[in-house]
Amino acid sequence: MMMHTTNSALMELGVYSFGDTQRNADGTLRSTTEAIANLHEAIVLADTVGLEYFGVGEHHTLDMPASSPGAQIAAAAGATTDIRLGSSVTVLSTDDPVRVFQQFATADAISGGRVEITAGRGSSVESYPLFGYELSDYDQLYAEKLDLLMTVNSSERTTWFGTVRAGIDDRVIVPRPVKGSLPIWLGTGGSAPSSVRAGRLGLPVSYGIIGGIPSRFGRLADLYRATAQQSGHRGPDIKVSAGTFGLVAPSKQEAVERFYPGWRNLQLLMTERRHWPNPDRARYEEQTHAPFAYYVGDPDDVAGRVVDLYRHLGHMRHFFQMDIGGLPHEHFLEAITLLGTEVRPRVQKLLRSK
Amino acid sequence: MELGAYSFGDTQLNPDGSLRSTAEAVKNLFDAIVHADSTGLDYFAVGEHHTLEMPASSPGAMIAAAAGATKQIRLGSGVSVISTDDPVRIFQQFATADAVSGGRVEITAGRGSSVESYPLFGYNLRDYEQLFEEKLELLMRVNEHEQVTWSGTTRAALKDLTVVPRPVNGSLPLWVGTGGSAPSSVRAGRLGLPISYGILGGAPHRFSALSDLYRRTAQQAGHTGPNIKVSVAALGLVAPTKDEALERFYPGWRNMHTQMGKLRGWPAPDDNAYLAQAHAPGAYYVGDPDDVAQRIVQLHGHMGHVRHFLQMDIGGLPQEHFLESLELLATEVKPRVERLLAIEG
Repeated sequence: MMMHTTNSALMELGVYSFGDTQRNADGTLRSTTEAIANLHEAIVLADTVGLEYFGVGEHHTLDMPASSPGAQIAAAAGATTDIRLGSSVTVLSTDDPVRVFQQFATADAISGGRVEITAGRGSSVESYPLFGYELSDYDQLYAEKLDLLMTVNSSERTTWFGTVRAGIDDRVIVPRPVKGSLPIWLGTGGSAPSSVRAGRLGLPVSYGIIGGIPSRFGRLADLYRATAQQSGHRGPDIKVSAGTFGLVAPSKQEAVERFYPGWRNLQLLMTERRHWPNPDRARYEEQTHAPFAYYVGDPDDVAGRVVDLYRHLGHMRHFFQMDIGGLPHEHFLEAITLLGTEVRPRVQKLLRSK
Repeated sequence: MELGAYSFGDTQLNPDGSLRSTAEAVKNLFDAIVHADSTGLDYFAVGEHHTLEMPASSPGAMIAAAAGATKQIRLGSGVSVISTDDPVRIFQQFATADAVSGGRVEITAGRGSSVESYPLFGYNLRDYEQLFEEKLELLMRVNEHEQVTWSGTTRAALKDLTVVPRPVNGSLPLWVGTGGSAPSSVRAGRLGLPISYGILGGAPHRFSALSDLYRRTAQQAGHTGPNIKVSVAALGLVAPTKDEALERFYPGWRNMHTQMGKLRGWPAPDDNAYLAQAHAPGAYYVGDPDDVAQRIVQLHGHMGHVRHFLQMDIGGLPQEHFLESLELLATEVKPRVERLLAIEG
């Protein structure tokens, strides 16, 4: 397998969030305003402690109110100096790629060229009725809008015609990104067709691994790389990142205890919304240990497992969703600090020793 | 009286007159807002255009960026072209910025002074009236309610759907922006919304007929209280002396006029008209601190406006002149305006 390197680190580490609303003692939700301000504070801290990446995902619920990754990323662009900022994911299917591009290019200009877009279908479908789209157009919407986003990103003047949006006849789309174009990733929960699509288009791919055994995604990453190669795409754009659940605490036991209530809340919500199975503490605990998917642990544990996954996936970035189901904000901030100051040096050391 | 600025993100020019990068323009605009905040201005607004000369295409993203980097200044759009955008998305962007800013964000909804967004976003100019009417109604609805039910002809219906995040103070201040039409004044009065007049030429005090109409309509419609108020946006630049202000503002004004001449059939730029507009009772607030302060206070005598904000960076005005003008507006014009108003008071 190829070694993947970046300028500053062998492996970039980061965080992603949907803007998790805090809870009152009785379990009721606190304000969405506070959730957005908390998220902003978390991104600023991640920059301060030296993390390489922060992604903001799009949802439209009282418990996950980060509905505008573009605005949230723009706010962060003005308040940070080094960290790369992106979406995880931009639900491209139900938005206008021109507007999305304009928001992210604006943020990019302010950040001095640190902004990326990860385009995906999203893990939930609440944006379809909100913005007047039909789930029956799921595939067509995504394929065409990704094509338009890539077109808008690649040149100052755009000509594009399709079925899911008005055509654009040789029009300027501004502002333009600092480095000519924005990095566009394809975000997927781990389907083979999405891996093939990313490879065929020559886009970097970001896997959301929210359960099961992450090392099994090695086969998808191989499929992605093989497809890219067959399509004649090579070079630095052919790369893989992984987004997973995770939380770092001073000890494994604390991490497991801190992450559980929020995980349980989220699981209960998803049981209601998407008919997931009822939360099960034993299953939860199993998921927090190798070879499973929750990177919940102390710095040694999390660093070791990130590097283990690297051997299967060859990913160059690993980022964690920590704040779920009302995780207390101070635990979120502490986990970010530990990820930047404790996990990060361990990961670099382990990778260098290999 | 609040003082401030608005901008469309003006792209700098090279010595040969060619345009520099739009990324630089956006960064310059961001720097200007941060500077306006640190010098003590009350308000900054970002307008929406889609051209290489005016690349601030996403007021929501720009205001959000400013929200994260400022402490006190109120931030808004001047204007959000709601006719060709989705009010739900606009609200979400501004509410996100509002949360980050701690409640300093406003929206000014308008039709915009240009029409380049219609083809870009697939709208038809035939629907001009209907689009604005319906989208303003939806924006008001989304702003007031967490659960939204709405139906119309210009956008898919909403059936009891959640729109988040919610603003810090329950709702965002929502203004109607107009270039000065009587129907828009009546509309704002009827809806009980504050109104913002963009006064780009002529004799500003004549707008008092419109602001009177607005206030009368509001009263007849049963709207009273602090939301019934008027703001004024105008062209202007402050420099240490009147001569410097006139010299600094002129090249950019000329560029913009030449450009607009091509786009909209405006007459060729006329130096005498420029000078006339830059002196009372003209509409360009281009001058030294005493001059600009006096003319703002004079207009206040006619309009009773609560906020006066200036578009300074047009046609490639050098960024350093923009920054100096913002600082003079805050540190020199503002105290003079307050003193004059206190005397009048």
